[in-house]
Amino acid sequence: MDRNKILKWFKEPGKMGHKYSLSAIYFCTGCGIIEVPPVITTRWDAERFGVIPVATPRHANLFLITGYVSIKTLKAIIKTYEMMPDPKFVIGFGSCPINGGMYWDSYNTIKHLDKYIPVDGWIAGCMPRPEAIFIGVTHLWTLIDKEMADGYKKYKEKYKYYRENQEKVLGKLEWEPLFPLEEKEDVK
Amino acid sequence: MNINKLQEEIRNVFKNVVSKVGKDNRIFLNVQKEQTLNILSFLKNNGFDHLALISCVDWIKENQFEIVYILTSYLLDDERSKTHIILKAKISRKNPEIMSVLPIFENAEFYEREIHELFGVVFNGNNRLIPLFLYRKYEIPPFRKDFDTREYSKNFYDSVLPVEDREK
Repeated sequence: MDRNKILKWFKEPGKMGHKYSLSAIYFCTGCGIIEVPPVITTRWDAERFGVIPVATPRHANLFLITGYVSIKTLKAIIKTYEMMPDPKFVIGFGSCPINGGMYWDSYNTIKHLDKYIPVDGWIAGCMPRPEAIFIGVTHLWTLIDKEMADGYKKYKEKYKYYRENQEKVLGKLEWEPLFPLEEKEDVK
Repeated sequence: MNINKLQEEIRNVFKNVVSKVGKDNRIFLNVQKEQTLNILSFLKNNGFDHLALISCVDWIKENQFEIVYILTSYLLDDERSKTHIILKAKISRKNPEIMSVLPIFENAEFYEREIHELFGVVFNGNNRLIPLFLYRKYEIPPFRKDFDTREYSKNFYDSVLPVEDREK
């Protein structure tokens, strides 16, 4: 271990823990998921960076959106995202979640993912190389250090707008709002 | 059974069927829409027991849909096993209705549901024409040629504003 970081570990153990043990939810959206098996197995071995895949969203704190997002997939993504415990980080992987990519004029693909859930970082490319995931992860470390990876806080603050955007595309959502939509008045 | 013999037999039984042989042992049959069920059951009795695909083509200039049935065979003993039969029936675009082939081929159900959803063709006799793939409802079924997908995505998906802009 780097001795210079020992002080940091004592100061902010929680943050350092989150930073070096990212559990990625193994959720397959679109074609980018084909890059993930070599990344997590021996060829590129993501555990060097502390990233491991987990089975359920309840255990995860890193969400990779790997490819185009159709309307049905968006619903599953929102459900999965809301199930994950805080703190949680979202990375958009590939061109399609950024601005639609090659599906920019499709009738069934939402173009900008960050209108519906907060996204902390993007990895551009079609397809990005597996090394790009590691570059993304190291950038995410920097963001966590500087407390700039605050998408989950933003989701709580602006939940009203996110929910309105989601309902505009998906129609009435059948589950209860995650956070209260109306701001409570202070009790005097 | 030889391909030419099979073609002759089809011509003898069904009048006004236009048939021709294409590349790689493919037989193309252009039929009337009322004849489809009869010809399909005739072909099934002649060994073509596998419906590989039903698909639809939108000929917007002729104002017609073309329903395409592709049949193959599991028989392994003669030339029929290497033959594909491609059967095409044209229906009008204004009133797109055709008989379902469910009584003959059971696996047609999902192909028919897909075509009903994406082209708006009604298959009489199929009672489960309920949504299959699409989540939203579209005014014009999205695979028709007059559905402007670029304009739709521009009007609809770009009208959702980013959260940062909505606060202002």
